[in-house]
Amino acid sequence: MKFSFFHLMPYPYLPADFDEKYDSSALTYPNANFDPKLGTSLYQRYLDELEYADKLGFDGIAVNEHHQSAYGLMPSPNLMAAALTRRTERARIMVLGNAIGIRGNPLRVAEEIAMLDLMSGGRVDSGFVRGIGWEYFGHSVNPTRSRARFDEAHDLIIKAWTAAEMFSWYGANYEYRYVNIWPRPVQQPHPPVYIPGAGSTETMKFCAAHRYTYMSVYAPTRIVRRWFDGYRQAAADLGYVPDPEKIAFSVPIYVADTDERAHAEARPALEWLYHRGLKQTPEMVTPPGYMSPGSLRGVLMSGMRGFGTASYEDLLAAGQAVVGSPASVTARLRELYDELGGFGQLIGLFAIGPSTHEQVTRSAELFATEVMPALRPLGVAADATSA
Amino acid sequence: MTDDAPAEEYLELPGGRVHLFRAGGGEPLLFLHAAGGAGEWHDFHRLLASRGFDVIAPDHPGFGKSDEFPLVEAVDDLVYHYLDVLDALGLDRVHVVGASFGGWIAAELAVAASHRIRALALLSAAGLRLPDHPVPDIFLMPPQKLTQTLFHNPPPAPPVPAEPDVDAVLAAYRDATALARFCWVPYLSNPKLERRLHRISVPTLVVAPSDDRLIPVAHARRYASGIPGARFAEVPDCGHAMYFERPAEFADLVAAFLGEHSHSSATSGAQR
Repeated sequence: MKFSFFHLMPYPYLPADFDEKYDSSALTYPNANFDPKLGTSLYQRYLDELEYADKLGFDGIAVNEHHQSAYGLMPSPNLMAAALTRRTERARIMVLGNAIGIRGNPLRVAEEIAMLDLMSGGRVDSGFVRGIGWEYFGHSVNPTRSRARFDEAHDLIIKAWTAAEMFSWYGANYEYRYVNIWPRPVQQPHPPVYIPGAGSTETMKFCAAHRYTYMSVYAPTRIVRRWFDGYRQAAADLGYVPDPEKIAFSVPIYVADTDERAHAEARPALEWLYHRGLKQTPEMVTPPGYMSPGSLRGVLMSGMRGFGTASYEDLLAAGQAVVGSPASVTARLRELYDELGGFGQLIGLFAIGPSTHEQVTRSAELFATEVMPALRPLGVAADATSA
Repeated sequence: MTDDAPAEEYLELPGGRVHLFRAGGGEPLLFLHAAGGAGEWHDFHRLLASRGFDVIAPDHPGFGKSDEFPLVEAVDDLVYHYLDVLDALGLDRVHVVGASFGGWIAAELAVAASHRIRALALLSAAGLRLPDHPVPDIFLMPPQKLTQTLFHNPPPAPPVPAEPDVDAVLAAYRDATALARFCWVPYLSNPKLERRLHRISVPTLVVAPSDDRLIPVAHARRYASGIPGARFAEVPDCGHAMYFERPAEFADLVAAFLGEHSHSSATSGAQR
């Protein structure tokens, strides 16, 4: 099992009347509510936490991209990754990922990831995401072109990294007469690629075809199980069994010395994450054309609801957060490992909503020293077939 | 509506099938539906058909029961699409009536091909980019807000079904997806359209509902001032839903105007 420390860099200071007054923390939530002085301190603190995770022995430290939102303060994950390259030694620097569905110039992504790869000495992992619904509103990109833009940007970036010579590109969305990036990446043939999935069968097949790592987003266990099975099936259809490390389970994790203390501290943090940070209207979640008819039908039939209604207890029961003492967290993650049919990477969100720096670092320490060693043997190639 | 239900037909084009309603007789009238009007035949259409017009109401590409036509990507493609439709119907010149999103297509069609049009009626047409009179974002509106925006007197909200009708949700999502394909950005407009309006050389009626909360009446006034000789009319106590809210008033205005510009001998163009 490989473990990574994922950061969303939330802006936790929502006003007391947020719940009544605003229907989301994103897109239309006024940035008059953002205090740049507090934001400055947050960036310092959050980068410290990621650097500390490297020292604690996490295999990866992860950042991602979100726009116009208190949910996550990283419009450019590559900037954060760049800062991390100089202050960390060992951990993979995981950009999970660049939202190439909404990016205007995918060649810029190929260039920046290549830069990060060199700056980090070949430690960068490159996630690609489509960008979530509200970002198609916020960055004024047509969601009906989302899939086509993502696919074409992906193909262009991979070719830009790997082509032996300069080439031209003529696609439906992008045209370049000269593709000839400097620098080229140091990892060969290119940095490992991660793709988050949220139920789209197209994404499962895409990941399996390219042998990329398929990572889950936050959802109930029975639904994540369906996604992982879909990925495994897509690989089976292509005649192979995916390496366990190609399946990554991501989940918020909070560890404290005792169960009692862990729950007392985690409850407000997780309620913030799921009820405020992720608060969105249905229109923001699924702009027209963002989902294929087949995927939308799948989501409707699965009975998946918004996060807003799930209680803290529901979230724990559904595997949408793992909270407790080191022993309880270890036991719960073993259960989830079995319920999900196995996975080889665990991407933990340790800095949850309004948790304090002390809480986050303590939780990460306990996880690294007591939980990681116990789970390390799970999800390696040898037990792949038993999963 | 059962007395004179329209015929339902499919028109074969190289890129797919176009679903259309057709009823009445007389001079052909191409009706271009609004964002929410695919696959619907209203009192408004019935009244026009009863006033001596051969009303042809197709579903736009990707809407209602029409095929996807993925290569019809933008409003300029829609213009060529409707020229293909007229050719396939064997119609040389038609009256064109467009509402809202369909009004935008109608205006673009008239800019490009006034020679195919006998008379034009734009009913609170989208299509102009007027930053001082912005159109609210229909894609971000919850259903209840949308109803309040579209109607002068909003009808009561329908009861929420216990279990969502998956097929109905998917059909609505398909229509919204087709709309977004053409108008996500630039939003419901072609920034070049206004400076091209002078090319419209057919009799034109521009109609605005007085209480249009979606497309401000300023848009209709701008159309009327940009199209040479255009006539402007306002329907009182009515919202953007127009013929959903006041079908008889809209049918009267449109039928009277097109009647003034009919070719009574009906010699040009293939007639049914």
